[in-house]
Amino acid sequence: MLSALSHSGAGPWLGTWPEWATQLAQGVFVLSIFLYYRYRPTPLEGQAFVRLLRQLLMGPGLLALACVGLHLLERLAKDQPVFGSNSLFFSSVYTLNLGLFVIFLARTNYAWRALVLFRSSARLQREWTVFEILLGATLLFRLGGINPPGYIGIPIVVGLGLYGIYLSGHQKWVAYLSQREKWRAVLLQAGLLLGVLIFVQYFRLTQADPQLIAPQPQHAFLLLTAFFSAFYALMGLLVTFFNLPIADIIEQRRNEILRLQRLTQIIQRGQTSVEVYHILLESAVQTVQADAAWLDLDPSHARVDVNEATFYFNLMPDQAGELRERLGENNLPEGDFITNDLQLRPGFVGSPQRFRSLLQLPMRGLHYNYGMLYLLKIEPHTFDREDLNILQTFTSQAVLSIENLELVRTSLENQRTQEELKIASQVQESLIPKNLPTDNWFEISSHSLAAKEVGGDFYDFLHLPGRRLAVIIGDVSGKGVTAAFHMAQMKGIFHSLMQENPLAKNERDKFPAPSKFMAQANAALVHCLEKSSFITSSLYIIDYEQGGFVYARAGHCHTLYYHALREEVFYFDSAGLGLGIIRNESYEKHIKNQFYDYSPGDVMVIYTDGIVEARGEGGAEYGEDRLKLRLEESYFQSAEDIKSFILADLNAFTYGYPIHDDQTLLVIKFKSAQPLPLP
Amino acid sequence: MKVTAQPSADTLTLLLDGELDASSAIVLDTELAKPDILEYRKVLIDCAKLSYISSAGLGVFISHLQRFQDANVKLVFFNMQEKVFNVFEILGLDALMTIVPSATEAEAA
Repeated sequence: MLSALSHSGAGPWLGTWPEWATQLAQGVFVLSIFLYYRYRPTPLEGQAFVRLLRQLLMGPGLLALACVGLHLLERLAKDQPVFGSNSLFFSSVYTLNLGLFVIFLARTNYAWRALVLFRSSARLQREWTVFEILLGATLLFRLGGINPPGYIGIPIVVGLGLYGIYLSGHQKWVAYLSQREKWRAVLLQAGLLLGVLIFVQYFRLTQADPQLIAPQPQHAFLLLTAFFSAFYALMGLLVTFFNLPIADIIEQRRNEILRLQRLTQIIQRGQTSVEVYHILLESAVQTVQADAAWLDLDPSHARVDVNEATFYFNLMPDQAGELRERLGENNLPEGDFITNDLQLRPGFVGSPQRFRSLLQLPMRGLHYNYGMLYLLKIEPHTFDREDLNILQTFTSQAVLSIENLELVRTSLENQRTQEELKIASQVQESLIPKNLPTDNWFEISSHSLAAKEVGGDFYDFLHLPGRRLAVIIGDVSGKGVTAAFHMAQMKGIFHSLMQENPLAKNERDKFPAPSKFMAQANAALVHCLEKSSFITSSLYIIDYEQGGFVYARAGHCHTLYYHALREEVFYFDSAGLGLGIIRNESYEKHIKNQFYDYSPGDVMVIYTDGIVEARGEGGAEYGEDRLKLRLEESYFQSAEDIKSFILADLNAFTYGYPIHDDQTLLVIKFKSAQPLPLP
Repeated sequence: MKVTAQPSADTLTLLLDGELDASSAIVLDTELAKPDILEYRKVLIDCAKLSYISSAGLGVFISHLQRFQDANVKLVFFNMQEKVFNVFEILGLDALMTIVPSATEAEAA
């Protein structure tokens, strides 16, 4: 570049270079500088517009200063013929300045590109590319030695100039500046404009200088880019400048959005309700620029301590107390409310307090109000509906966060309860005998199902000396946890009462007879059953040596029995009162022992009312009759198969309907004694 | 479940209509727990429209049984459907409470 131009400056020691070479070198230089900046990463980082402008002014802008400096130097040199040829020096300076100008223009242009294309549409991006290509084409004018006549050249240049003006209209970025940034942008753009002017002025001066021997520069291209750079800067400056008066409103809106975002983010971070209230108050105050504020919360709903139920901003509690009292006395509306002449309100006339404007806003939740927000300003006539609207968004967001926190808390609690119920269910499971008694003279099969996690049904077995077996079944009134507690108690009572009595004279009296057991159990339960609860139970003590059993029924479901010799299925019919109904000695009168002799092949079906009262289609109950029919059809099978047969029928009957009550089913089948296998 | 009270001189008749289960037991309990109910000589329970009674329902009567006895108030059930009577009978309550077939017998009791 330098060489080409200085050559044309006719240094005697370099010979004469043809003019086209200079032109070509100039063109290549311009093109390469522009292409270099074109393919550099965009100078705009995020939304750092001011930074971009500052870099522009500090970088290429300073080039203008260099240009001025060189110019001054050249002026000085003019009168001191230190250099061989003034003309040569002058041309060198001119060429250097031209180079600086090109760099300045390239950087500015591509900085403007970043701004023009900020948030642009695809169409605008295409338009910009076209602009670049057209500008590039003007380079060819000189290179190709084409010097179009004025009537063609001027319209082209003017047309491109208009295109540049059109592109300069894209100043969206200005909207994203804060007020302070706008001021800075105005100054920086003015600085840039000054830079362009300095260059332009320099070239205007030098162009006319007779000493200039250098060939004409790329006139059209430089003119157009300089025009575009200057015009865009000018437009930007004007747009920014005229935006200044409304900058604070735009900024306020932006801040409102930011604050709202902050509130929203708190929900996700799962912070405490106190923090939410703090941020609400702070955001509200900042948004409407209140001088003071306080937030009254309802401790019963707002999840705060009674002592922490009020949040203050720039206000003493007693001041708030006085205002609250005055407001309360004057029956102001309970909902949202603005007054801009508080000092004129009845009750406030002559009040020493200094606030003139008040905004009152309830924090409404889905079911109840969480509290009331009060904002105060010293100046009168300062609140408007707009403030109320944005604050309402804030309070709803805060309420949403609080309710969300509450939901999270409850769901955690529920989870914990579920876990505990699971444990309770496991504990209860362990109370139900897993290993059923086995012997060669009977078969037992059992089934139990709780309607909820835990239930009130129970059964148990106990081997007694002399080939005897105690079988107990019971049902606690009610369901769920309460019933489960009583069920566990009943199991404890069973095992403590069925202890060998060492004082008994008779072998048979060592263990309580069923009726005695029921009377004792009833006496024990008086201390632990609530008044409206009762337990039904049946206890059987089966004696293989005697081939019979004795039982007592305390209000429990009648036992279903298959009599093998008579080939008959029937229900035992015996009287007996449930446990916990009569809570004194007289209970003994209501319970009796029943004796029964069994034969091999007899089947006993013991169950709780959850079986016979199970509901099927149309609310119909399974019923005793249907149970009896099933035994008539299956008595010849093994105990396990009889149980499965009955359950299959029960499940078919209740299919699709929920279980209402705990279900227990025991099937005992007596067998003719087989000799015990030899060990 | 609906409970209708029909007071007369010395008798209170309670008409039960529907299913007496855990949820409706509360309604009946409130009725029976009223202190002035003990001022009657007799409390008659008309079970004609009582279609089902659960253990919670029975629990209500059981919990007030002693209180009525102590205050010398007679509790009489009548018009009981067979299915409901069956529940009373299985639990052994038929031996403990007065259950009669009809209103005439209930008034005479």
